[in-house]
Amino acid sequence: MKKKLLVAAIFAATAAMQAQAATLGDENLSISGFGTLGVAKSNTDQAQFARYNQAEGVADKAKIGLDTNLGLQATYKINDWLSGTAQILTRKNTSPTFTTDLTWAFLKARVNDEVSVRVGRVVLPTFLISDYQNVGYANTMMRPPIEMYGQAPIENVDGADINFQRAFGDFNFTTQAFVGVSRGKLFVPTGSGSVATYRAPAAGISFTGEYGPFVVRLGHARADLKINDLAPINGLTAQLSQFGFKQLANDIGLTDGKKIAFTSIGATMDWHNIVVQTEYAQRRAKEAVYIPDTNAWYTMVGYRVGKVLPYYAHASYRDAGSSVTPPASLPRNNQLGAAVYGLLPSPEQTSDLIGVRWDFAKSVALKVQADRVKPKTKAGSLIFVKPGFSGNVTVVAAALDFVF
Amino acid sequence: MKKMIIAALLSSLAAAGASAETVVIVSQKNPATRMFSEQASQFFLGKSNLFTPVDQAEGSHIRADFYQKVADKDPAQVKALWSKLVFTGKATPPKEYPNNAEVKKAVAADPKAIGYIDKSAVDDTVKVILTLP
Repeated sequence: MKKKLLVAAIFAATAAMQAQAATLGDENLSISGFGTLGVAKSNTDQAQFARYNQAEGVADKAKIGLDTNLGLQATYKINDWLSGTAQILTRKNTSPTFTTDLTWAFLKARVNDEVSVRVGRVVLPTFLISDYQNVGYANTMMRPPIEMYGQAPIENVDGADINFQRAFGDFNFTTQAFVGVSRGKLFVPTGSGSVATYRAPAAGISFTGEYGPFVVRLGHARADLKINDLAPINGLTAQLSQFGFKQLANDIGLTDGKKIAFTSIGATMDWHNIVVQTEYAQRRAKEAVYIPDTNAWYTMVGYRVGKVLPYYAHASYRDAGSSVTPPASLPRNNQLGAAVYGLLPSPEQTSDLIGVRWDFAKSVALKVQADRVKPKTKAGSLIFVKPGFSGNVTVVAAALDFVF
Repeated sequence: MKKMIIAALLSSLAAAGASAETVVIVSQKNPATRMFSEQASQFFLGKSNLFTPVDQAEGSHIRADFYQKVADKDPAQVKALWSKLVFTGKATPPKEYPNNAEVKKAVAADPKAIGYIDKSAVDDTVKVILTLP
């Protein structure tokens, strides 16, 4: 019943926004939106497959919460050089119900034809598709590969960014730099699950080169992640302090804020009906912290046949070491030592997925996708894994992506 | 007689061809004189802000044909591309006008504007900088 209501609400909201946009009739105001109506299920009840930061995943019962979302955006053009934009996004994220967040709200000033500055809540573009990862219609795959996009939980910052764009003949160069403070919630899937609140001053820069159908992007971002209420980690560090491992407790925990860097190189190609999207990224702790270093990559290839685009992708993430070295005095085999040595390595996982996108109507695309998720260590990115389960998981999903 | 019919057929074919020709236009006040189709596509795909694109109505034949010719993209691909730019707040899509006359009027009024219309609709209020085959 709840599901039906939600679906009805999405359609009603869509229709209402369209009607409103039409009747507002203010030339300077534009209202647009995007959304996905998706259903997914897996082949097991022993673990859940979720997007990053979702409090609830899918198991062997079909659910709409994995991929369904609705975004609404309003832009008001104040004058020739100044505009304001706000976007809200409804989806299932750190809470098991649908919630609505303000994804961005900024004033944009066009300094000249090549430079613009935005102030307010702006996107944190860690990776290639970070800034449009929630817009299903703008993407080929149904969801960003969790192997890579799960490495950076932060989506926006309250601060400012600057965009510079210059064309050199047919070659287009863009650079974007941002600085600000990100605040938000992280879902911690330990035990029965909990939600932690983070604060992270962050800054970064990206360079994009575009030549016809080829795009290459290089990005680097840093965040100083501080979390006070990370229950499972705080429990462990309290115990460590109690047993005299104060330094180790400080090294592991996030209460003092820890610097983490993300570096990525990505490329897309849409050439003669061949569609390629690929990316490699490293996450590196710049201060000792329990969060492991990782290397992640994925490659997607597709071939467009008219309005139908079948695609295949492989994604992977691996442990690349830990910034924490437990002291020799911590035994590996007691309860405390086992907890520390068990915590430090990164989960690892690969996925193979096949899917098809069909642009069957104006502004609407149908996608069907099957993921074969292969956790390698620590159950990969699966959540709520039942004790003893270590198998692969197949997830099938169908979705309608739309923009208006 | 046959020759006349053939000639008539040929000329009507030529006329049909000519009437389907699309031209890229700018204001008479715009200093540009010529442009390659790759350059024109930059403005209509949000890759450059130097000119302000003016679009024909969504779903119109001339629009589908234009994007196919300058960028080798069908309307759905163009829409997907713009949704990336719009929903990241990077750009707003070109303003749309319902027909050649309205596009021409909008282009004539703005020295930075760039549009495309049927060749037959061109007059001296605008300047043709590219003819698409």
